[in-house]
Amino acid sequence: MDKPAPTHQNKTPTKPEALSREERKKQLEFQNEAVVHLHSLYNYALHITMNPDDAEDLVQETYLKAYRFFNSFERGTNCKAWLFKILKNNYINRFRKNSKEPGKVDYDLIKDFYHSIKDTRRDSSEADTDYFHSLLHEEVYQALHSLPEEFREVIQLCDIEGFTYEEIANMVDSPIGTVRSRLYRGRKLLRVQLEEYARKYGFNTSKDQ
Amino acid sequence: MNCKTARVLMSAAVDGEISFKEEKGFLSHLSECKGCCEEFDDAKKTKMIIKERILQFKAPQALIDSIMQLTNCNT
Repeated sequence: MDKPAPTHQNKTPTKPEALSREERKKQLEFQNEAVVHLHSLYNYALHITMNPDDAEDLVQETYLKAYRFFNSFERGTNCKAWLFKILKNNYINRFRKNSKEPGKVDYDLIKDFYHSIKDTRRDSSEADTDYFHSLLHEEVYQALHSLPEEFREVIQLCDIEGFTYEEIANMVDSPIGTVRSRLYRGRKLLRVQLEEYARKYGFNTSKDQ
Repeated sequence: MNCKTARVLMSAAVDGEISFKEEKGFLSHLSECKGCCEEFDDAKKTKMIIKERILQFKAPQALIDSIMQLTNCNT
């Protein structure tokens, strides 16, 4: 930021550097409580936007808003959950405004993400029955993204981000019972997809063997 | 407990979101129902594979910097 040129006027009592104690306290708390979740937020944004630029914008907007309304964050509750809720709302608003269709998957983009990752298929002799472990990052990713958004969302929030059912229910504006059943059905759908991948590579997915 | 009730509790059991009382009934149903038992194992595996296989990307440095600046303004 540009420093203002020195003037001989004495009527500027609030220099930019002279932040109030209050403001400094807020900044410090915000860094400890909110900024620590930056990587999680970025990851989630990447998952839902499928676009690195959109993800960055979304995270940036989220933090701007979070900082502005940090006073309304209920101390002692999960700040990460609070941030995710803001991010989700931002996402909905943005995609409604742009009338983009959320939930569309760009598989080329996924390939780009995973391109540089060295991903070796495990030897099937290691555990024949455990065909799940033969699956690659990209296959699991694609299977996850093939799910309808309402299922994918709760699986991500639960299994990747580790939120409780109560936190998820609050984020998706649904009762806990709905979260439960979406997780149940979502995991079932996902399993079907994963089994298909496994079968494609010749793994035996039959239970009777 | 019947299969229908057990399936309602399935995800909660996987995620440790089940109450002590519910868990007791759920486990006793599993002990006598092969189908639900297999489903339970599959659900646990599915959760594990997601945790294991979905990669976490780090936020780009430029984004980190700009967020830090937001909370460090004018210093």
